[in-house]
Amino acid sequence: MQSKLSKTILSFALTLGLLIFFEIITSAFLPALGWSDNRIAFPVVIILFLAIKLNSPMVAWFILALQLVHSVFSIEGWALGTMAGITAGIVAGYIKEVLDFSTPLLTMITVQIFQVFWFLFITIVISLKVGSFDHFASHFFSALPGTIILSVMSPGVFFLLDKIWSADQAGTQRGVSL
Amino acid sequence: MRTLLAESSKIKIINYLLVGIISIYGLSQKKFTIGEMTLFQKVVTELLSPIQSGIVSSQQSFSSFIDNYFRIVNTNKENRFLRNKINSLEAELFQLQVAKKENARLKGLLNYSKEIPFEKIMAKVIGWDSSNQFKVLRINKGERDGIKALAPVITHQGLVGYIYRVGVNYSDILTILDPNNRVDSIVERTRTHGIVEGILNNRCVMKYVVKNEPLEIGDRLLTAGVGGVYPKGIKVGIVTQIHKENTGLTLNVELTPSVDFHRLEEVIVLKDKREKLLNKVLKQNKEGSHRAIKTQ
Repeated sequence: MQSKLSKTILSFALTLGLLIFFEIITSAFLPALGWSDNRIAFPVVIILFLAIKLNSPMVAWFILALQLVHSVFSIEGWALGTMAGITAGIVAGYIKEVLDFSTPLLTMITVQIFQVFWFLFITIVISLKVGSFDHFASHFFSALPGTIILSVMSPGVFFLLDKIWSADQAGTQRGVSL
Repeated sequence: MRTLLAESSKIKIINYLLVGIISIYGLSQKKFTIGEMTLFQKVVTELLSPIQSGIVSSQQSFSSFIDNYFRIVNTNKENRFLRNKINSLEAELFQLQVAKKENARLKGLLNYSKEIPFEKIMAKVIGWDSSNQFKVLRINKGERDGIKALAPVITHQGLVGYIYRVGVNYSDILTILDPNNRVDSIVERTRTHGIVEGILNNRCVMKYVVKNEPLEIGDRLLTAGVGGVYPKGIKVGIVTQIHKENTGLTLNVELTPSVDFHRLEEVIVLKDKREKLLNKVLKQNKEGSHRAIKTQ
């Protein structure tokens, strides 16, 4: 029981490290190289992994903690992403049987679909929050190029996270129980 | 086993509900026009921003390194010595050119800032917001340097935005490219008023301009000095498109910001007695929240 807990803590710490690494790449490294128009929202793919593939009852708190760190790098804050993340987790819970990550292509398609709904959700909430839907389209479409790049990269990121959370193939298809 | 699984999913649902409620509360408190860094955010920013800063400042050396690598990789042994010498001289020249350009930029900033009757704080851009939905820059100056929230930020080219949130040694700027930043502006030639808002793709729009205003492409926009955040007369942008629709009372005016946000390296933060205004805004926000709670 204790070793399971310490393993979970270690996996979470590594995931946090990966998130910080990606955040620095997105907020400083890529813009310094001239890539400043489209940000790659790495936290989204990490949170989608936790929400879709992890069966731990603590997933919601993991998402909250990751979003708290994300709020340091973006004025988006922690609440929006947490809401989107737990919504993705609930949806994934209902459609777990049809989710398939057995090939890179299927992973890319699944991640892309979830990302589109993620940004749709975020854009609707931001528009409701600021009381105006004037920038709905520009908000939503500004995120789309980044989602495609992220979907292409998602099999690699999922592979890394599978290693971190020690998920075998059977586990990845049905969700990693922790 | 089945009871154990059912127990686990019950805990999961309870956790989802708890975190959901916390995040709804967090969202209700969230403001996209002004923010405060929490202690946690301040600590993590202090720990991680030096890395961002280091990456940005080493970018030129990195580019120079890559250039040099590709130049050297195809040379043979005979001319390696000479090439290395040329490369080192070129690198030196490159550094001198960078210094010369920086010098020119800083001179421009200094000359421009002399014209503005505010206390100025020079800062370097060290990072960008990691989300696509917001156009925010991070600079290497914070509370310790006397920066306050809502302070206007400019360059010699024009208006950049205002300070959204302040850390101990770092601050975030909400740029005019962000839809949450609204700038009361005036057209220099016709003195027409309007509100400039960002539309995310490095462009802005001017809203609430009456249809019969004689605007032309190329008209320059300045800050109007209304609203208490920005001083009057700072360049905002140039009109690039005017759409006259058959219906409606207003014009759709599109503009290109004066500041080239792709090449932004240094900025000036204007220090003013903004505390009063900030306290007023924060007080209004608090009163608004209390009123909302009371009415509920």
